[in-house]
Amino acid sequence: MLIIKDLESGYGKVNVLKKINIEVPKNKVVTLIGANGAGKTTTLRTITGMIKLTSGHITLNGKSIDNFPSYKVACLGLAHSPEGRRVFPSLTVFDNLQLGAFPRLTGSRPRGDFKGDIDRAMELFPKLKERRNQLAGTLSGGEQQMLAMARAIMLNPDIILLDEPSMGLAPILVEEVFKIIARLKAAGTTMLLVEQFAVGALNIADYAYVLENGRISMHGPASKLKNDPAIKAAYLGGH
Amino acid sequence: MRFKFLALAAGIIILSLFPIFQTNTYYIHMVERILIYSILLFGLDIVVGYTGQVSLGHAGLFGVGAYTAGILYFKLGVPFLIILPIAVIVSCLFGALLALPALKVVGPYIAMVTLAFGTIIQILINEMTFLTEGPLGIIIKKPIIFGFQTKEIHYYWIVLAISALSLVVINRILKSRLGRSFEALRDSPVACDCMGVSVYKYKVYAFIISAGFAGLAGSLYAYSEQYISPNTYVFELTVLFLLAIIMGGRKTRLGAIIGAAIVITLPQLLGDVKLFRIVATALAFVVVAGSALLISKKMSTVRKVAVPVIGTVGLMAFSYLIKNISDWRLSIFGFMILLVVYYLQDGIVGFVNNFYMRIFSSKKSARDQIDVGNFDKDDAIISAKNSSAPDQLLNLKSVLMQFGGLKALHDVDLIVKKGTIHGLIGPNGSGKSTLINVLTGIYVPTSGTVEFSGSSIVGKVSAKIALSGIARTFQNVQLFNEMTAIENIMVGLNHTYKSNLFEIALNLPRFKREELAAKQRAYGLLKFVGLEELANEEARNLTYGKQRLLEIARALALDPNLLLLDEPAAGLTAPDIKELLLIIKKIKDKGITIILIEHHMEVVMAVSDVVSVLDFGQKIAEGKPKEIQNNPKVIEAYLGAQTT
Amino acid sequence: MDIFVQLIYSGIALGMIYAVVAFGYQLTFSTSATLNFGQGEALMLGSMVGLTLSNLGINYWLIIPLVCVFGFLQGTVVEYLGVRPAIKIKSEFGWIMSTIALGIIFRNFAENIWGRSTFRFPGPFEDDPIKLFGANILPMEILVVLGAVSMMLLVEIFNRKSIYGKAVVATANDRDAAGLMGINTGLVITFSYALSSLTASFAGVLISPLTLAGSGAGGALGLKAFAVAIVGGLSSGLGIVVGGIILGVSETLTGFYVSTGYKDVPSLIILLIVLSFKPAGLFGKTTIKKV
Repeated sequence: MLIIKDLESGYGKVNVLKKINIEVPKNKVVTLIGANGAGKTTTLRTITGMIKLTSGHITLNGKSIDNFPSYKVACLGLAHSPEGRRVFPSLTVFDNLQLGAFPRLTGSRPRGDFKGDIDRAMELFPKLKERRNQLAGTLSGGEQQMLAMARAIMLNPDIILLDEPSMGLAPILVEEVFKIIARLKAAGTTMLLVEQFAVGALNIADYAYVLENGRISMHGPASKLKNDPAIKAAYLGGH
Repeated sequence: MRFKFLALAAGIIILSLFPIFQTNTYYIHMVERILIYSILLFGLDIVVGYTGQVSLGHAGLFGVGAYTAGILYFKLGVPFLIILPIAVIVSCLFGALLALPALKVVGPYIAMVTLAFGTIIQILINEMTFLTEGPLGIIIKKPIIFGFQTKEIHYYWIVLAISALSLVVINRILKSRLGRSFEALRDSPVACDCMGVSVYKYKVYAFIISAGFAGLAGSLYAYSEQYISPNTYVFELTVLFLLAIIMGGRKTRLGAIIGAAIVITLPQLLGDVKLFRIVATALAFVVVAGSALLISKKMSTVRKVAVPVIGTVGLMAFSYLIKNISDWRLSIFGFMILLVVYYLQDGIVGFVNNFYMRIFSSKKSARDQIDVGNFDKDDAIISAKNSSAPDQLLNLKSVLMQFGGLKALHDVDLIVKKGTIHGLIGPNGSGKSTLINVLTGIYVPTSGTVEFSGSSIVGKVSAKIALSGIARTFQNVQLFNEMTAIENIMVGLNHTYKSNLFEIALNLPRFKREELAAKQRAYGLLKFVGLEELANEEARNLTYGKQRLLEIARALALDPNLLLLDEPAAGLTAPDIKELLLIIKKIKDKGITIILIEHHMEVVMAVSDVVSVLDFGQKIAEGKPKEIQNNPKVIEAYLGAQTT
Repeated sequence: MDIFVQLIYSGIALGMIYAVVAFGYQLTFSTSATLNFGQGEALMLGSMVGLTLSNLGINYWLIIPLVCVFGFLQGTVVEYLGVRPAIKIKSEFGWIMSTIALGIIFRNFAENIWGRSTFRFPGPFEDDPIKLFGANILPMEILVVLGAVSMMLLVEIFNRKSIYGKAVVATANDRDAAGLMGINTGLVITFSYALSSLTASFAGVLISPLTLAGSGAGGALGLKAFAVAIVGGLSSGLGIVVGGIILGVSETLTGFYVSTGYKDVPSLIILLIVLSFKPAGLFGKTTIKKV
């Protein structure tokens, strides 16, 4: 589905990513874990064209998307729920969801069952149903995260990139977010999940990559990495 | 250095001999105007090139200078030599007035503010007829100096002398701590404030100095033209000045002179339409041929060259359509601005420099020009051991920081003991950086008290707090990017200077002494973090890890009692982190207290004496590193629980 | 007293024009944090093109949509030549200078095409004033107010109701995130410039029958409209209407009671004072700087 080959990119003259290779197969959940500043968000931002790649290739469904502008990548069926949620604060919850489906409503992607999808998204996130006509800026952090994920689903995407969905959320909400990711997984959604909260990510993913200082230091089935002593020491708390 | 001096001397000699060989007063007057414009452009460059603001008010300031001279001459008959300094002072006052609203705003706002200011000046000149004679204008005779009536050629020499003097003075100012501060506030205003260099204050300085030169130029202009009237000092003149600066090249005096020469001679050169057609045709051919060459060599694409090709070919076609060039003068200037802004960003001087550099790839050697002295690197840091600060160096009581509905800090109490390293951890968005911003005066807490060294810092501006002994680094590195490593540190050493503007302008001994001392100490600080080899490298060209180290060195230049390190290890490689740990320990040995925000647990645990944990803006735990590591609350919130 | 009320009326009409131009600033500032320093020239071009059409014998009501189309195209050109390259290289200096340059070019072209003198612009109504609260008001002044308000309302409704309008708001909220939704944000910015020039040239056709049309009309107007945008706040719709009225009235009063030469001064002074003490504007929200 999504293949990243020898990717290098960064800000200005400084390359943050150094030749990284990631593959996300169809219907699988792949996670990318690593410390703050390791380059996780940079990877996602390079995929969706917010940062120019300096070398390497990215292909989506066999089609090269190197340095495509964000909107084109979205129209090709890749939804990216960015770090920090980034909902549109001065629009209502419903408007936010509608914009998630923008390419569908404007003819860039098949329209499908838009109304039905809205209902399904509301069902998946019951909180959003209650707040349907409220401005997104007035939602709590957890609700905004739900909205960001719902908005990504509204694209009817082939693959979803989730950037730190647990960031800044209370433990109980983190749990809820991961439950929803599990439900999406069960429904066969392809996902690339970036997380600092490694335990949760490794529990849910099929396959994992560890990013360290812009390089993939380790990768393998998530169940295997979870029990790796080095990973345990570095990312799963100090014991 | 020597080369520049020789070039300057040669230039002055040639220019002073010029009127002897070229006796046509038309040309003498033209060069005179170029020199006068150059003086103004030197000053304008401080604002545009160094502090990076767009000023659309300089025609107004130029007018203030001219009319101060005109009014004093016409109404009171004040002699020339007294008029000049008065014109400068009056313009400086207007510059200060202009700086007032310009201070609090940035970018497009400053442009609009200065534009409004310029417009007001123009209206006042037009309407205050009792003072300015309004649209009638004022006639001024060439000055009489000590009873000697000057003629065009004498006045030319006077202008030449004054512009040479201006050049020297402005060079000294810009090479001094003032120039560094101006550049620093352009590259990162936040860091500038946190280095004790008040953005507020130095912006005012920049505007005042700039206005002074504009006023000087204006008063010289009044005597040069011998007639002043309101419709000279209009918006178009301001735009012409800006065109001159960006075309000649920002941040170079030579660029200002070249720019002045272009905007003054161009209307004359293009005086007849035939010449304009030839120039436009030649330009179009050069651009088309150049683009064709670039495309054939695959160095550019059709899309990239489309705009300049269409533009220049269009200009050529245009030149054959028009009959009278002078009607289209402004369009041509506008067209030139567009071209320069996007295709000659560094101006002519910058372009030639880049070209020269690429051909000869002459890299500045790292160590030349620095008289490093015998500074031991460890002496570069002033020990804080003997400071009289109380044992509880920092004391926060129930601090609340609210943004709209969000409580970024909620009821936080924190005591930091002198001489310790205090770790601060917590998940993303838990309020760590907010806390640092509160401590450095970037945010003013909604409620609660913050005491540093026994006195409250709530409501104090960043620069004041910095000077009282709190230094910091930034999570997303905030260096002065276009300045060299050593200059970055010297901005931090700004507080060690006592010399004033006049000592700088006259290059007096105290200033020289201070400059040398600062340079040596800056070099010592670079050595301390191991960057001495890169002293003359621009900060933006350093690797990420080195940038972080440079930030620490710069913070130390402030002689802090308390150093706030905001994620110093983020993005560092393992060996870099080891080096960082050593540096942190050495800083502690100097008696400097440190607050360390960090995600790398091994770093926090290795060096901290006490660790506090924030979550949702609240302090949820505090204690020795070992205790924190085993605290169940902390594990759940941050280190990661095994429950999910 | 009658004179005073009459001055208030014409001040309000003038103020609404400023508000429309200021509204244009808001449109582009919200989507791209840039604005057109030649906005006043867009208004001038609108009125001059309108005048030319009028001389060709075209009906005033037909001129309005035609000029709007012209304004739309003019705004597209400004964005394409002046703003887009600057956004690409992230140069604030770039777009400020290039929109100024384009403004100068437009004005110079207008001077060469239409000359420097001012012309009477025939309006759709006779000049017979109507009595309102004891003072005279021109029908054209009422049309100006209605036209300005409905233009702003139309754009607002478009932004709130249509999916494309929502895309504009989304781009204003968060350009990166809007891109991730599949919104071509570059196009949205171009569109906001087109819309901004459209409203300005529309304002030009509205105001010209009251004042006069001439190639020099743009200069101070762009600046005064900016003063309105600042007083009202670059993000407040109600703010600019209030700001426009304050400045428009202060201008007509100063022009009558002091001297026409000074009529622009109060707006500029207000601009400087507001920026000195409350840079976000009287109605704007202070934004939090992230470090």
